[in-house]
This record gives sequence, C-alpha cells and structure tokens, in this order.
Amino acid sequence: MYKYDNLDSQFLGERVEQFTKQIDRYKKNELDEDQFRSLRLRNGLYKELHANMLRVAIPYGVINSKQLNQLALIANKYDKGYGHFTTRQNIQFNWIDLADMPNILKDLADAGLHAIQTSGKSIRNITADPLSGVRTDEIADARPYSEIIRQWFTLHPEFSWLPAKFKIAINGIKTDQIGMKFHDIGLQIVRNENKELGFAVYAGGGLGAAAMLAQEVKSFVPEEDILSYLESLLRTYNLQGRRNNPKKGRIKFLVKELGKDKFSELVEKDWLLSKDNKELKLNFAKLKKLQDNFKIPIKPKAYSNKNTDVDFNFSIWRKNNVRENKISGYSVIFVSLSQINSAPGDISHQQLKALAKLVLKYSCDEARITKKQDIVLPFVKNEDVYELWQKLNLIDLSSPHNDTFAHIVSCPGLDYCSLAKTTSIPIAKQIQNRFNENGLLFEAGNLSLHISGCENSCSHHHVADIGLLGLNKNEDAFYQITLGGNTKDDTELGKRLGRAVSQDEVIDVVEKIVKVYLANKEEEESFNKVFKRIGIAPFKDSVYA
Amino acid sequence: MPENNIKINELLDVENWQKNNSTSSKGIILNPTDDVQALADTLNQASLIAVDFSNFDDGRNYSQIKLLKRIGYTGKIHAINVHIDHLQFILRSGVDSYELLPEYKKYDVNYASDFSICYQAADNNIGLLEKHKLD
Repeated sequence: MYKYDNLDSQFLGERVEQFTKQIDRYKKNELDEDQFRSLRLRNGLYKELHANMLRVAIPYGVINSKQLNQLALIANKYDKGYGHFTTRQNIQFNWIDLADMPNILKDLADAGLHAIQTSGKSIRNITADPLSGVRTDEIADARPYSEIIRQWFTLHPEFSWLPAKFKIAINGIKTDQIGMKFHDIGLQIVRNENKELGFAVYAGGGLGAAAMLAQEVKSFVPEEDILSYLESLLRTYNLQGRRNNPKKGRIKFLVKELGKDKFSELVEKDWLLSKDNKELKLNFAKLKKLQDNFKIPIKPKAYSNKNTDVDFNFSIWRKNNVRENKISGYSVIFVSLSQINSAPGDISHQQLKALAKLVLKYSCDEARITKKQDIVLPFVKNEDVYELWQKLNLIDLSSPHNDTFAHIVSCPGLDYCSLAKTTSIPIAKQIQNRFNENGLLFEAGNLSLHISGCENSCSHHHVADIGLLGLNKNEDAFYQITLGGNTKDDTELGKRLGRAVSQDEVIDVVEKIVKVYLANKEEEESFNKVFKRIGIAPFKDSVYA
Repeated sequence: MPENNIKINELLDVENWQKNNSTSSKGIILNPTDDVQALADTLNQASLIAVDFSNFDDGRNYSQIKLLKRIGYTGKIHAINVHIDHLQFILRSGVDSYELLPEYKKYDVNYASDFSICYQAADNNIGLLEKHKLD
C-alpha cells in the first residue's frame, strides 16, 4: 500500500497546526460560526445531535494494522469506545470534543491518517473497488491512480471551494464494483482499440433527494491526460454550478440542466487549451513507484491441507464470507460488521485492536473497507482460514452475513445524526430479528436492504434491492420504499413502490416484499431479475392490499 | 505582496467600464458571474483587475483568475476583501497582490504561511516543495 514519506508527514503536521490555530480563533470569537463551519467541515468535523462527529478518510479503503490500532486508540481515548465504518470507505467517530481535535489529528497523522476534505464543499475521499489488485478480470489496479488523483486534489488552490461536495470513484474492472455511476465523477479504467490505457469519464451522478446516474461525458481520456481533464471538468463545474440554491449545487444538476452533450462540449473546449501543459501530464515515474507500492504481496503457493474440525457454523461462514483469491493458495475474507443487535458498520475499540493483530498476522498487514461497511482481509493463506475464523469468533466478528439478507446497510440515523428524520439502526435490528424468527434469512439469499434516515441517502438506499428512506410526516416516522436498485455489477436506481409506510408497518412490509420475491423466484434468480420479470404490481398488491 | 494602496472606489465593474469607455477608472472589479472568456477584449484593456473574495464560500474567483491568465491578460491582478483563511489558495492562484479585510490586519504577516509542501502544479508554487515533482 501507499507509504507516507517524510514530506507527507510534514504536510499533515502543518495541516494540524493550521486547524489548531483556527480552533483557537473560533474560541476567541475571531472566526464567525459560518466561516468556522466551512473550515471545520474541510477537516472532517460535523456538529451533530449530541456531540461532534469526526470523519476520517481511508483513501480508497486501504488500511494497515498500525492505522487500525490508531483508530482503536482514538475510539477509546476520545470517543465512547466505538467507530462507525461508512459506505464510502471512511470511518466516523460520533462523540468528539472540539477541544480534543488537535490531539486527535496529531494521533491520526502519526499513523498516516487524516480527515482532510472528508466533508464540506470539497473533493472528498476517493473510493475504489475494495478488491482492487486481487480480481482476475481487472483492466488495471485503480489504487495507484486513486492515490495520484487524491494527492493532486489535496488543498488544490483552484478547487477547494466548490458549489457542493464532490465525490470521485475509480473502477478498475469491467463491471461497476464501486457504484461509480452514483458519484459526481466515475472513472472507468479502459483500454482503447490500440490497447492504450485510459479512462472513460462519467459525470453527474449522485443519490440524495434527486437521485441521478452519471452519464458518460468522454469515452477515452489517455492516462497521461487524466489530471488536466479532471481540472477542466472541475473548472466548468466550479464556474457554472449553482451557488444560489444549496439543494441544487451538485454537479448532477448542472449536467442535467445543460444536457450531457453541452456539458461535455464545455469541458472539452477548456481541456483543449490545457491538455498540452506539461505540468499537468501524469508523472509516469511516480505512477511506476506507486504501482510498486501496491504490488500484491503474495505469490502462488501449494495448499497444505490442515485438518479442521467439522463445524457447521464455520461451513456457513466460509460459504458466505470467504472467496478465492486470484493467487492460488490464498483466500479473500469478508468480515461482516452487521451483527445482529449492533449498528451496521459499528466496531468497538477492542475489536479494532484485535482485528489489527489479525490483519498483521494473517493478511500481509493489509485490509480493505467496502461500500457495504465490511472489512476485507485480502491475503489469507487457505490453511489459516479456519484459525482466523476461530479468532474472529472470539471478538464477535464472525457473523456469516456476507452476501446474505442479514447484511443490512444503514446510516447512523436519528440515534447519532442531526440531519436524520428517522431512526435506521433499530429498524435494521428489527428486520434481522424478524428474519431470524421466520426462518427466511437464508432462503432470501443475497438480497440487499439499505436504510437511510433522510434524503441525504448515506446508506445508498436507491441502489439496494429493497431501499428504505426515512421521512417525517407530522412528527411521525415513515419509510418510503424503493425496489429493484442495483449496485452489484452495474448501477441502477430503484423504483418507488407507492405511499410511504409507517414505522409500525415497515417490518411487516419488508417481510411481505421478501415473500413476494420468494414466491416468484425461479431457482437462483436474483431479486433484480424477478423484479424486472414480474414488475412492481405484485409487490404493490401484497403491501397495500 | 500585500498591497493597500489600491482604492476600490476608483474601480468599475465590467458594465460601467464598457459604458464609460474606461476613461474615469483605474481598473475593473470582476464579478463572480462575469464570463472572463467572453469579456476577454474588454478585460485586456484594463491595467488592473480586482477580484473580490469577500464571499467566504464562493470559489469561482479562483477559476476566473486561471482564465484571466489564459486569455493572456498582462495587467495586474489584485485580490480584494481577502479572508486570511483563503490566503494560502489566493497566493498560489497567480494574483499579483492582495488586500486583507480589515479584521485580519492585526495578524502577523506570516500567519497564513502554514505549508511548506504542495501536491499540485499551480500558477505560483514559489517557496513550496512540489511533492508531485519530487516523487
């Protein structure tokens, strides 16, 4: 993975000092509330219901044991003992004192972690496929490019004050594994007819109140020109994006308003004037160095079969949570953070610390965070899998939920978030319990359910098989339901089922929807396929009958 | 390059500059909505263009300065109403001079020089280690 050098560390230290001075000025009333808000958000700090929330970046989801240990320390020392992994490969702490921020940021910097641009109207953490580098069908590893682009747009002097937040995702295989079409920009690594490497650029995606999918604005940008192209795209957005209506600031509204063709024409025009600027060309020596950093640390090995006890729980877990690595003799392990009775994505400081040890011992000191709020250990020897499972068991991280309906994706909801309209976590728990009781959990198979507590759509409910969106009607909690979304191998937005249902009804309604699916499913047919084949009507009939 | 001698009331916005045929003014104040490329001919006549940074969250100015450089503008670019927390970006954007808002004038002249490293090419990287070139 990318290793911070002295200059990176120095830079983080300087950023900590800068923000510390800004906090001091705020305390002395030399910075007003709005200005401080703007600055603290660019350092990942939100004011939430009960305390401050800090979002820490995990660039493209790659993390090592030292960093996991440091997150454990922060959860223990400055929070109530927990962290919350997000759907964009970040981690959040919900109980942060403003006064602790300088020390927290210093502690983070010690492990090469930071919170720069994790919020605010800036270029956010870049996400990439968590299985980058270990997939067989990869066009190129997205991580070296993600790192180059991340660095280039860190405190960029032209693009640090955008009309709205700006999220970039990079995908290195043919099927969309990172939901790039619901990002402000999605970059798909491609090869052109001459086998040269480059990017297809998608722009204008985003979930939230007006969910839209990004459209292709350029089918091929050579890799060496990607920085200048992104600059031109951002310049067009920076100058023309709506600034008079905070609800319409995202680039999706600009692309929609101008039309995809007009937008891409404007970008192209700007790009032709800057693409030959040598300073903006990709530094291939740097790319090569990064590619070396990200080299897979394992080589094929023979599988030395160890005797493992026959264990039913292990078998279920292995079936759901273990996948083959492209390197023979190795497995990819998914650690589900969606235990029954805990909030999806939540992890205690003890678990973080124990996990750090396991990552170091069993996975070449590298883990990945997924958009489903899981942790992946990508380099585990086949013969270590059973032992690893036993150790995960000891720290309550062995739930076999991966690729099952119990794996619910949820935002923090009203329990933690000041923007939320409804709760999310308790609903997730109730659904898990209901399907445990009714025995349909495994029959439901790889069915996805995402719960967002408000229109900001942090759980990405639009792209789930079943999406729940919390609404507030006359002080009562309601959930609007979308069906048929997809983010497994492509991105599709779900369709609205009908009127929102009350909090009292929602668990029954979810059960009804799953039953309609199971009654109509032919063999291994996915929810998405059944939904496309039978349409929305049978679901409506069952729910609103 | 702090510069306190430029009087804002001696400057005109683009519309008035065009009306008055530039005779009574020492320069132009650019509005964040002005289309620099379309106004290139007019802007190129002015010996000074002031860019107003009073709106803390409006980053259009930065791209406007980029476009001023691109149209070959050779006069002076002066940032006005500057918030000290923006200075690190403004200095790198290629302005020739700036004037802080009055409330920030009490700060030490080096207040905003927090960084010794930058990660990208910009119009002005003087005094900074350019990480993207060093790798």
